[in-house]
Amino acid sequence: LPAGLSQWFPALEVLDVSGTGLTEMGTELLSLPCLHTLLAKNNRLGGPGSLPKELGQAPLARSLRVLNLSGNRFSEVPPALLQLRGLRSLSLGGNRLHGIPPDIQELHSLEFLYLGGNFITAIPPELAKLPSLRYLVLCDNKIQSIPPQLAQLHSLRSLSLHNNLLTYLPREILNLVHLEELSLRGNPLVVRFVRDLTYNPPSLQELAGRTVKTRNVPYTPSDLPESLVRYLSLASNCPNPKCGGVYFDSCVRQIKFVDFCGKYRLPLMHYLCSPECSSPYSSASQSSTSQSESDSEDEASVAAHRMQKVLLG
Amino acid sequence: FRYTRNLVDNGNGKFNLMILCWGEGHGSSIHDHTDSHCFMKILQGNLKETLFEWPEKKGNGEMTRKSERVLRENQCAYINDSIGLHRVENISHTETAVSLHLYSPPFNTCNTFDQRTGHKHKVTMTFYSQFGERTVCVSTRRGAPR
Repeated sequence: LPAGLSQWFPALEVLDVSGTGLTEMGTELLSLPCLHTLLAKNNRLGGPGSLPKELGQAPLARSLRVLNLSGNRFSEVPPALLQLRGLRSLSLGGNRLHGIPPDIQELHSLEFLYLGGNFITAIPPELAKLPSLRYLVLCDNKIQSIPPQLAQLHSLRSLSLHNNLLTYLPREILNLVHLEELSLRGNPLVVRFVRDLTYNPPSLQELAGRTVKTRNVPYTPSDLPESLVRYLSLASNCPNPKCGGVYFDSCVRQIKFVDFCGKYRLPLMHYLCSPECSSPYSSASQSSTSQSESDSEDEASVAAHRMQKVLLG
Repeated sequence: FRYTRNLVDNGNGKFNLMILCWGEGHGSSIHDHTDSHCFMKILQGNLKETLFEWPEKKGNGEMTRKSERVLRENQCAYINDSIGLHRVENISHTETAVSLHLYSPPFNTCNTFDQRTGHKHKVTMTFYSQFGERTVCVSTRRGAPR
């Protein structure tokens, strides 16, 4: 960027330096007090000096609303970027990102996040701490699973996950009440009912812990070694609402299919406390498909109401 | 946040002429063209067109890809149901795309297809705007790929 930029254009609000071959944007940015939109796509940014380190202290940190760095060479999200507290829209599409830093949660004003076309393999649960996030684009990456915490993104309206490596989704995805658009094409989604994926039989400690919890066996810290008191406090409730059971480390992962509007069947991952635990809808029938369908009826009607545009494509 | 269909001219009921605006990463589902002629011209950016075979009657397998190509600015394409089905996508993560579409006769419903199973589903297509005016969507049912 030319030196003296802020002296010539102190009132600059929108700066577009896309397609100029920039390899770094330095201190010239720091003294632009009114800049709210910075477009720098299709450049050669990505090296260590791409963004000035002092970004967090500059007026830019509060004024910048839109930042487009798509089509550059970033292999990681530059830490300086995470100090842009006022940022509403961020695009890092078409870069070389392998992951998303947990500190992404610092961008608490973020509404639009475009990360399509990178090499991202996993999503940190901290991404779910962005309270205003409405549009999340993660298409064309290498994502293998979605953390269930993503269901905490209450403002999410549009989620783009097409062309990844997903085989199933967490059932919590049904909790995204305002989600209107979901793209899932180009994922190796499981299409047939899959029986218990892995199940390590519970240890004696786990079995004893379960009994203490489910039967409300009274105990005080003086009754047990501290490690066991801690262990007992980590009990998780079985998500099956009809089962009052708890589990510690040993749970069954099971894929169930949920119908959307009677058309698309989405494989959702359920955690159950044991292979015998299932909703009372399933009868003694051995047919795997009928069990998955009957168990999914109640969830399907709820999901169909909430999700208006499922774009499996 | 998906591509928009903007009606420009309805040719006294003989055709629909519309402009589609595609954001980065936006794509349509696989769809047919309800026995109509469909012309498409790229006005800005690039769009990838993937052609598919019609699924078997009671098809229950992955749909067969016939061919794919990237259409550049000013290029034209044509399709009708006898040629096959297609999916159109803006695969760019940095550029938007704009295309001009001519359908004759006009149609407002088509079938979308699930690539994994070949199952089809009839949808009603909606416009984001008509003749420059924003169309407010009344229906809460799933809207349209194209």
